[in-house]
Amino acid sequence: MPPQLESQSPSVHIEVEGVERQVPTGLTVIQAMWKLGRPMIHGVGCLGGVCGACPIGVRFPNQFEFKTALACQTEVQDKMSITFYPSDGSKKAVYSLPAERPSPKDLFQYYPETKRCTACRACSSVCPQGLDVMGGVRAAINGDLSGMAEKFTACVMCGLCAAVCEVQIKPHRVGIYARRITGAFYPKKPAALLNRISEIAAGKYDAEWDRVLSSNPEELASLEV
Amino acid sequence: MESIEKSKKKVDQLRSKRQKESWPSLSLEEKESLVHRYHPDYKKEAYRAIRVGPNQGDETVHELADLLEGESPVADQEIVLTPHHQADILIIGGGGAGATAALTAKAMGAKVLLATKLRLGDSNTVMAEGGMQVAIGPDDSPVRHFLDSLRGGHMKNDPTLLKTLVEEGPEVARWLIEIGVLFDREEDGNLSMRGGGGSSKPRLLRCKDYTGLELMRTLKDCVLNEQIELLEFSPAVELLTDGEGHCAGAILKNLDNQQSIVVQAKTVILATGGIGRLHIQGFPTSNHYGATADGLPLAYRAGAKLTLQDTFQYHPTGAIYPEPMAGILVTEAIRSVGAQLVNLNGDRFINEMETRDAVAAAVIRECAEGRGVETPAGRKGVWLDMPLVDIISGEGTLAQRFPNMARQFSRYKIDISKEPVLVYPTLHYQNGGIKIDVNGESGLKNLFVAGEASGGIHGRNRLMGNSLLDIIVFGRRAGRAAAERAKQADFKKLTLRHLDLFHEAQKKEGISPQTVSPVLFPDYVKKN
Repeated sequence: MPPQLESQSPSVHIEVEGVERQVPTGLTVIQAMWKLGRPMIHGVGCLGGVCGACPIGVRFPNQFEFKTALACQTEVQDKMSITFYPSDGSKKAVYSLPAERPSPKDLFQYYPETKRCTACRACSSVCPQGLDVMGGVRAAINGDLSGMAEKFTACVMCGLCAAVCEVQIKPHRVGIYARRITGAFYPKKPAALLNRISEIAAGKYDAEWDRVLSSNPEELASLEV
Repeated sequence: MESIEKSKKKVDQLRSKRQKESWPSLSLEEKESLVHRYHPDYKKEAYRAIRVGPNQGDETVHELADLLEGESPVADQEIVLTPHHQADILIIGGGGAGATAALTAKAMGAKVLLATKLRLGDSNTVMAEGGMQVAIGPDDSPVRHFLDSLRGGHMKNDPTLLKTLVEEGPEVARWLIEIGVLFDREEDGNLSMRGGGGSSKPRLLRCKDYTGLELMRTLKDCVLNEQIELLEFSPAVELLTDGEGHCAGAILKNLDNQQSIVVQAKTVILATGGIGRLHIQGFPTSNHYGATADGLPLAYRAGAKLTLQDTFQYHPTGAIYPEPMAGILVTEAIRSVGAQLVNLNGDRFINEMETRDAVAAAVIRECAEGRGVETPAGRKGVWLDMPLVDIISGEGTLAQRFPNMARQFSRYKIDISKEPVLVYPTLHYQNGGIKIDVNGESGLKNLFVAGEASGGIHGRNRLMGNSLLDIIVFGRRAGRAAAERAKQADFKKLTLRHLDLFHEAQKKEGISPQTVSPVLFPDYVKKN
């Protein structure tokens, strides 16, 4: 047990897939499930809001709309109704990065459905990270892969966007493609990094290494380089 | 609650005064004395000698000693050791180190099987926030990176491993860029860098405060593109040996149907990560759900020695309020841009850029001496005053550079640019682990180890940003060395001879194991 998980009170009533249950306050939805004896092996990952394993839908009485969230990032509240969604099952295109910067259109050979976006905004509305998912998709359609990359920095790959897309776009998968192309073919070179690699290869630090590696711990504690 | 609000007011009132204060660094002696007095690594009653195996007589925490002395889950099972799978390399663990090793080995033509407890990518890697240390600044050097890390590690790092780590840093940064990792850049195209505790120069490469997510997402995409054979939800429960001191494969357990899976492999790479979810000394943890140190008892029973198995990193700033966030990490990088640690009275008490062990010890000292703030759930901690960051660097800095932190706290209606948050050390990293050579090979031939499961690189305290570097540098090395080895090796006979030997040793010492190890998951689920 994590410290203090045992001694919680008072409690709240929640509904888990149609069954009403009582759990202590101050717990995340996942902690509440443990408390109820549910092991949660599928549907749990980092417990820190970045792995995308634990998407859920939550709703309150008299509320028409479902809200999507991550179970590890959601505190149980009274009258909350919870449904677990499976983690991402969308199909990923298999590709390798080309040697030269590809045309933005190359995206469509891997994810051709991307072009069919109807701008319904469902993807953005379910993103538990609150990302401008549709904006990213529109940027990609318009050839702006770095614009899409920027919008997908915080994507946890939960796949909810793909699950709700009426034309089967996989925005999160397009997002990682856009990020990789943007990163690998960044318009400006990291000059200092490349310079350092050459310096190491040319043996620039060999003498210093000899000095450091032949020093005893007392000398090393105060050695200046 | 009242004292929280009162204390928070003091933090607000004293902010502008504190902002101008410069806080002295600890001398070496002051630091040693602080750490020895308050750091959990020095709490004698938390430790005992390991009673059996390669580290018999060495001290470690009770939680790990129990695992190492534990019984194998296959001890009472009749498992036919006919392989279900064969591979040149079996990689156990699907975090950053395992994925990197898999990509490297595959590129060399090896047939790789990657088995992991949860999904590919579910790991501590994905959670890393602050960055990856690489010495590329004009007034920086690998030697300087080496010395900073050595001093941070209390001079207990393995110098050969550490030299390799820092020297290969620039090359692996280039490789990561090649595969499309999108690090933050400066206008001129250079990699953007910031500082970390115990580092004399800014050398943290990062992607906002989602650095680990960016790395893991990309590595995972590469592994899937390479169509490397994967077994998810299939943790290893025992290694297999050939009866002559070589590792020859492993027994996995399919978590969906509880069946055993026998894998015969010419080489095995353990990339099973750390121990946080065992809550050593009752600490909360920043680690992922599967961080139960599975690789340590597996390697240990098969004869591999551990090193620095008595030292753990308690990250100074784990959230303690609101309660559902307990244990969640607040990145050290936030302190490197000006966030201060402040006690109940609104006063600073440590230079925030000391190494993690020293800062954690100072936080524990404040709380032990009555200068901590208590939460409604009964946790004690100190303030991390983040609004200072925006005051120093301009409004919007936190939101722009630390979107992960801002987002996580905003889910609980806390605006980190407006109010301080409460923190206490959280169990973050296993400093030690399985002893390896420079190619990642353990004391058991053909068993390689990479990442947090290994020990020696970081000494007794790891510097921020050195673990993301470690998993890539040593993941690549282990992948390369295992692939080379597999070229000359044949499949070996599969036995559990090492378990027989371990049982004999247990019997000789009069030990009846209390734990079945590896435990695979923390014991959170209420038994109905």
